[in-house]
Amino acid sequence: MTRQNALIEAIRIVAVVVIALTIGFVITAIVSKEPVQAYTALLTGPLPRISFENGFEIKNINRFGNWMEESTTLILLGLAVSLVFKARQFSLGAEGQMLLGALATTVVALHISAPFPLHLILALLAAMVVGFLWGLIPGMLKAYLSVDEIVSTLMLNVIALQIFDLLLFNWLRDPTAGFIVTPLFPQSVLLPQMIPGTRVSLMSVLMLVAVVVVWFVMARTPFGFELKMLGANRKFAEYGGINTKRVIALSMAVSGILAGLAGAHLSLGLLKRLTINLSPGLGFEGIVVALLARNDPRLVLAAGLFYGYLRTGAQIMERSSDVTREVVLIIQAIIILLITAEQLFPRFQQWWRARRSSEVAIERG
Amino acid sequence: MSALVEMKQISKVYPNGVVANKNVDFAVEKGEIHALVGENGAGKSTLMKVLYGLEQPTHGEIWLKGARVEIPNPHKAIDLGIGMVHQNFMLVPSFTIAENIVLGSEPRKGRFVDRAQAIAATESLSKTYGLQVDPLARIESTPVGMRQRVEILKTLYRGADLLILDEPTAVLTPQETDELFVAVRKLVDQGKTVIFITHKLVEVKEISDRVTVMRHGEVTGRVATADVTEADIARMMVGRAVFLQIDKPPVQRGRVVAEVRNLGYVAETGRPMLRDVSFDVYAGEILGVAGVEGNGQTELVEVMTGLRPATTGEIRINGAPVQGQSARRIRLSGVAHIPEDRLTNGVALDASIAENLAVDRYNRPPFTRHGVLSPGKIKAQAMTLMQQFDIRAAGPDAPMRSLSGGNMQKVIVAREFSAEPALLIAAQPTRGVDIGATEFVHNQLVGKRNEGRAVLLVSADLAEVMSLSDRIAVMYKGEIVGILENGPHLTEEELGLYMLGLKRQEGTRKV
Ligand SMILES: Nc1ncnc2c1ncn2[C@@H]1O[C@H](COP(=O)(O)OP(=O)(O)OP(=O)(O)O)[C@@H](O)[C@H]1O
Ligand SMILES: [Mg+2]
Repeated sequence: MTRQNALIEAIRIVAVVVIALTIGFVITAIVSKEPVQAYTALLTGPLPRISFENGFEIKNINRFGNWMEESTTLILLGLAVSLVFKARQFSLGAEGQMLLGALATTVVALHISAPFPLHLILALLAAMVVGFLWGLIPGMLKAYLSVDEIVSTLMLNVIALQIFDLLLFNWLRDPTAGFIVTPLFPQSVLLPQMIPGTRVSLMSVLMLVAVVVVWFVMARTPFGFELKMLGANRKFAEYGGINTKRVIALSMAVSGILAGLAGAHLSLGLLKRLTINLSPGLGFEGIVVALLARNDPRLVLAAGLFYGYLRTGAQIMERSSDVTREVVLIIQAIIILLITAEQLFPRFQQWWRARRSSEVAIERG
Repeated sequence: MSALVEMKQISKVYPNGVVANKNVDFAVEKGEIHALVGENGAGKSTLMKVLYGLEQPTHGEIWLKGARVEIPNPHKAIDLGIGMVHQNFMLVPSFTIAENIVLGSEPRKGRFVDRAQAIAATESLSKTYGLQVDPLARIESTPVGMRQRVEILKTLYRGADLLILDEPTAVLTPQETDELFVAVRKLVDQGKTVIFITHKLVEVKEISDRVTVMRHGEVTGRVATADVTEADIARMMVGRAVFLQIDKPPVQRGRVVAEVRNLGYVAETGRPMLRDVSFDVYAGEILGVAGVEGNGQTELVEVMTGLRPATTGEIRINGAPVQGQSARRIRLSGVAHIPEDRLTNGVALDASIAENLAVDRYNRPPFTRHGVLSPGKIKAQAMTLMQQFDIRAAGPDAPMRSLSGGNMQKVIVAREFSAEPALLIAAQPTRGVDIGATEFVHNQLVGKRNEGRAVLLVSADLAEVMSLSDRIAVMYKGEIVGILENGPHLTEEELGLYMLGLKRQEGTRKV
């Protein structure tokens, strides 16, 4: 039963991707003079190439690195979103939590000095705590004052951005630099590099740990059970004795921890300093990942890798052909549409299962 | 007489492999009231959903007035004059009754919905068929009985000639049931045809002309109602003789388990729903709560289980005060609760059976140890309970949504009974449950009593209260107007006087 479900799910995802990519190719063919080459760049760009011209050599390792970096952030955000979505809380606050997480690491990086692992740990903790608190606010508002979380989180995103700009302009920026950036962070606070020639860092390992932890929390702890029951029927959860207010508040706060870590990845792993316009809208890409993965943390890993691949390929296609980035945005949009078109695929599933089970029924007599 | 509808050799296999209908032949004649009965999960709702176009048959044909028809969706069914009132209502809670009735085919004035006309149409339909509703009330604030009438009016508004009523009386009080029957007879007098699903054989005898009996997805009998007795029908349904009489040893009253003192509850609207309610429930007894529905029974149960805060008064369980505590604390102090409206808070349709069975105990051993939850243990418990309580479903992982109404109720009963409570509060415990299962639930309730537990039984079914209870408290307008010893001397008429507020015991007068 569950194995069959997994198979159907896999078929569903592959079908969605194939359809979306086909439509994407048609669009590319319309706008590009060299559609095949451009599309190849999109589809294979992020892969490293092994070359034997000068002995064994791996080329384009930086592109592969880009893919991994991108995916690491996306997976952390996807985990954050799937946690709240599982509880049917439509918090859109990952963006703001991520910004403030990055900001917190910067404060620790520039205003506290400590030796290497300690400094890094402090910075990561700061990001997690700030993310937690920034998620707790809409959580408490929803739980105790019935404030709609969609509205409150969007508002809090705006506030987070203002705080971010305010601190950056007035306190953290490097006055000697010609533009608005902080000084480079000291080595003691940076995430150690994992693959030479790339910015793939320890955070990718921490991300894998996070996937396991979130899966564990959701599937193997009482809190995860509470999340699920809250998402399934709030009144039922209350009747069963679950303190739904606490669960609502905590779901958003815990989600903030992961978004805060995504922010730490941007600052401590990728940029190594803080800049203005950190990465507008990235927080919302987490929603795409969570939707693709149907809020299952294990699938978030796959979905994040896929979506990161697509985004990296898009940048490469943009650089190496006459196709603009918008095309890939269109492909992304088509994928989201296809996946959220819940009507289409359940039909297919039904048909598939009905066929299988009527076979079974007939065999049985 | 010719058949209005004929379903020939209908089979339905659900996507999960459940064979809900197996070569079913079913025919209804024009102008008759046709009862469809069978155990929970026998496939009654499925057969009717096929007729209404909600489910597609795996095999078989449908003939209407002598011509073969395809019914791919309810829209087509409505065009053909078939209307259905579902077991689980499908109304929009935030809309008014009039809006719900015209929804989907609203009268229009220019580009807008003509509200005045919607209200007028509602009122005239309501008058024609004697189904009283308040067109301006919002569904969310109306009692179940009225929602039911709204559902029926809705199908009539859409011009149905054949009405399918799926367990319409399950949620009704006896008075409301009588009113419904009057309306149904009126419908038939005006040339409509009615298919009527029910678990209550008294009703089959009272209202139907013919009856079709289903069992395990197959038709096991089709007879003229006049030719059979209730016991005959029961035997056709269950495949064995059913004893509707309960054997109860004399009451062995123990210590007091629940003490309720001067309980008051004022609804958000400012209306007092409970007034100065006081009673005790003892170990080893069943205290029945009778009353016309809407006289505070719902509020009493929800206050006692921590789902609503009491405004005044005191509740003690085993001597410890529990009022104002959380639902969890109250459960932990030994209270279990079968809720009256299972779909609102009794189950989570999107969760699995196993999860539904664990919602009150997932955080304790053996389900959680050292902070780690074991889905395996939750599943194992579900398998045991499903067997013990004869819950028919694909398996413990099956979503609650795929269960028949009666099996959902069994899941709730299984969970609450297995909680080993000191006080079991059972509100409408056999609503929508078939006779076999009703017999089972009744025996279990009496069993709990005999084990020395306290049972508070709230039921709109007077026969149920009278056959099970040791004492009966009657509620009227939020007050307890009498607590009567049950026994052969107590008649339905006597209870009725209390229920209607015409009689009141000495010492209960307060206001
Ligand atoms: N949507 C569904 N998917 C899978 N199985 C289903 C679905 N709906 C019903 N079933 C199964 O089909 C069988 C027949 O269900 P049905 O609802 O027709 O029973 P019923 O006779 O109406 O019972 P009740 O008196 O309890 O309402 C049951 O075993 C039920 O679990
Ligand atoms: Mg049914």
